[in-house]
Amino acid sequence: MVVLNDPVNLMSYVVMVFKKVLGFDESKARKHMLEVHELGRSVVWTGLRETAEAHVFTLQQWHLTAVLEPDETR
Amino acid sequence: MKRVEVKLSLPVVAPLLDVIRELSSELEKTLAAPQALHDLDQDFRGAWIGELLEGQNGDLRALLSLFDGEFFTEGLVAFDSSNAEPIVRACTAFRLQLRERRLKSLSDEALETGDIDMAGLEEPVRKAFMCYLFLATVQELIIQHLDSSIIGS
Repeated sequence: MVVLNDPVNLMSYVVMVFKKVLGFDESKARKHMLEVHELGRSVVWTGLRETAEAHVFTLQQWHLTAVLEPDETR
Repeated sequence: MKRVEVKLSLPVVAPLLDVIRELSSELEKTLAAPQALHDLDQDFRGAWIGELLEGQNGDLRALLSLFDGEFFTEGLVAFDSSNAEPIVRACTAFRLQLRERRLKSLSDEALETGDIDMAGLEEPVRKAFMCYLFLATVQELIIQHLDSSIIGS
């Protein structure tokens, strides 16, 4: 599951959403937020599709741009 | 229950409510952040978008309900565990819509840094930008003061 950058959301907001929705601690949430900000995208979760869909839906409720992508390492 | 009360400047904030109400109408049937859902089948996609819209509309109503009688008499608004999350999400929805519909003339960099000559903006854009900043301030306030106690993981 990938989160894409957008020019609107505050960094503090993205960190808060990652902590809340994905259960990240502060440093992990900040790391992924900075990846999104600087690289335009961050792979924030990998695993079963059904679970990924639930996470994507919740991230979209928070207005983050989240998409499912196949894990090509498997 | 932790509760934060904020006294706002009525002459500054009240004119922005017209913009917020307009945005709310625009967003009634539109997602603030359109999502790519190409890999979902059509029925599932429709249900998915419908649920997102329903949630979005509930969030927008929560933000609008802040500006009730107490706001217009005292300038007071209050955040607590019952409204903090929907309001934070609604701020984002409104900011996304502002950028998409009313602030196209401003670069993303300018919006991000806030480095904009307000005096040089035409009135509708100036008002939209003030609204954009106001909503960001509300978000920051809630995240800073209420994050660990009522929004935290």
